[in-house]
Amino acid sequence: MTLGLSISNVSKTFSPAGREPVHALRDVSIEVALGEFVVLLGPSGCGKSTLLFMVAGLESTTGGAIAFDGLEVRAPGPERSLIFQEASLFPWLTVRENVGFGLSIRRVPPGERARRVDELLRRVGLAGAGDRHPSELSGGMRQRAALARALAMDPEVLLMDEPFAALDIQTRARMQDHLLEMWSSTRASVLLVTHSVEEALALADRIVVFTARPGRIKAEIPITAPRPRDPYAPEMVELAKHCSMLLREEVEKSFKEQELL
Amino acid sequence: MAISDTGSRRMRRAAPRIPFGGWPEAGRATGRAAISAGWWCASLGLLVGFWELAWAVGWANPILLPPPHIFLADLTDQFRYFDPTGGRAGAMGEGGSVWSVLGVVGWTTMRVTVGLVLGFVLSLFVGVAIRYFDVVGKLTLPLVTILAPISPVAWIPVAVFLFGIGNAPAIFLVFVAIFFVMTLSTLTQIDQVPKEYIQLARTVGASKRQIYRHVILPAILPGLFVTLRMNLFAAWMVVLIAEAVGVGSGLGQVTMMARNTFNASLVFFTMTLIGLTGFLFDKAFGLIQRKVLWWVGPSNVGGL
Repeated sequence: MTLGLSISNVSKTFSPAGREPVHALRDVSIEVALGEFVVLLGPSGCGKSTLLFMVAGLESTTGGAIAFDGLEVRAPGPERSLIFQEASLFPWLTVRENVGFGLSIRRVPPGERARRVDELLRRVGLAGAGDRHPSELSGGMRQRAALARALAMDPEVLLMDEPFAALDIQTRARMQDHLLEMWSSTRASVLLVTHSVEEALALADRIVVFTARPGRIKAEIPITAPRPRDPYAPEMVELAKHCSMLLREEVEKSFKEQELL
Repeated sequence: MAISDTGSRRMRRAAPRIPFGGWPEAGRATGRAAISAGWWCASLGLLVGFWELAWAVGWANPILLPPPHIFLADLTDQFRYFDPTGGRAGAMGEGGSVWSVLGVVGWTTMRVTVGLVLGFVLSLFVGVAIRYFDVVGKLTLPLVTILAPISPVAWIPVAVFLFGIGNAPAIFLVFVAIFFVMTLSTLTQIDQVPKEYIQLARTVGASKRQIYRHVILPAILPGLFVTLRMNLFAAWMVVLIAEAVGVGSGLGQVTMMARNTFNASLVFFTMTLIGLTGFLFDKAFGLIQRKVLWWVGPSNVGGL
């Protein structure tokens, strides 16, 4: 039995009625060890988000298998927490109620729930914002609340679907640092989807580069440099060039394909 | 993977209004209210002014189109036609005070309110049941779709056959006027709940029942209130017709009686009452809406 997340030979084909089937992913295999930070990098529409949703148990695979700690993934589970592109906090709940939503669904008693939520809010730096509504928060604060909500489930792997894509560049960098702090204080692994080379290089233990559709693994790039990383250090610049080149090839491929259509 | 961003768009507050300059902080709200009231008076004054002018130059026959200064002149005479007990048909000469007028307005308002509440609650139940239970959906949806376009006016004979004369047929007609629309609106609202909300609930292990109770219900309420408010005026129109033909009391009955007795002053006086009541009803509804849906910005609530 392997511990952690194991994705083996996973494929996904969408077959909409009366139309050509779309091959989103083909034969993707990734192992994510406990506590590892893996970034999935690829052009838009390469199926990397679909893979994330399959790991979350929200989409089914059409081939291959996904297992967590040796058990096959068939449905969502608390050990796998998903964070969406935009926070998708419930607008009718306060920040505190949003963070505690999963706990109340799982019938954690109110006293313990309040204690855990307060602790999480403090950790993500939202201690003073618990009674506010999502509409009163900035984009960065909302994503921090979403992070707290995901951490409330004590997940073993955090699945993040372009979590900072909607933020401005400064907030984005700040949120990446914040995520690294959170990650190092938990034992959770992270599987993060992005199309930004900079983001991948700042965060990952290992970058998995995807091809254009149908998504396959084009390259795996381990990064050993200690964090925080200086993006202008010579070896990081080299890695950035390499990743950008790999990505550009795929983006061009998908452009060509679109022009053919 | 296409992920809609309706969720975040909903969360965002509408841009605050540019504050009106010129008043100190405390007096600003009062100042705005005064300005708004001023425009209201101007707007009404426009109609009244034209009407009075038309009368003064002799275009408007005071028997057929009596201007406000005529139909508002002898209020106690008008009050005679309002029977406050509300339950009896064809009453005349029993009233005579402001209270009898308020009584009649109260009866009509009661019928609208009961019909609206019944229609709202039942359409919510039926709409949710259609989506929640597959069989209910397959059995009910075609029926709802076929019955929805039938005008409430066509239901009047049915209402009288079913309930006779009295409060029940009027309430039933208000109910019919909004029930089908609201049921269809509930379905649309359920289908438009951002996918992420439901996925998120599923990832924390929420059951179908929990998803409906804790996610779908609060997510659809704002849209449903907007639809309900848009149908308020339809409900008011229907209740007046129902009262005119099938109840025998209320504002609708007074209007009908005024028509039958060729009392143009009473017609316009009753129309004024109807307009005023409908306006206050909508304002009250807006207040309730803002209380219940505090998380939706005031300008996203819709309506007036």
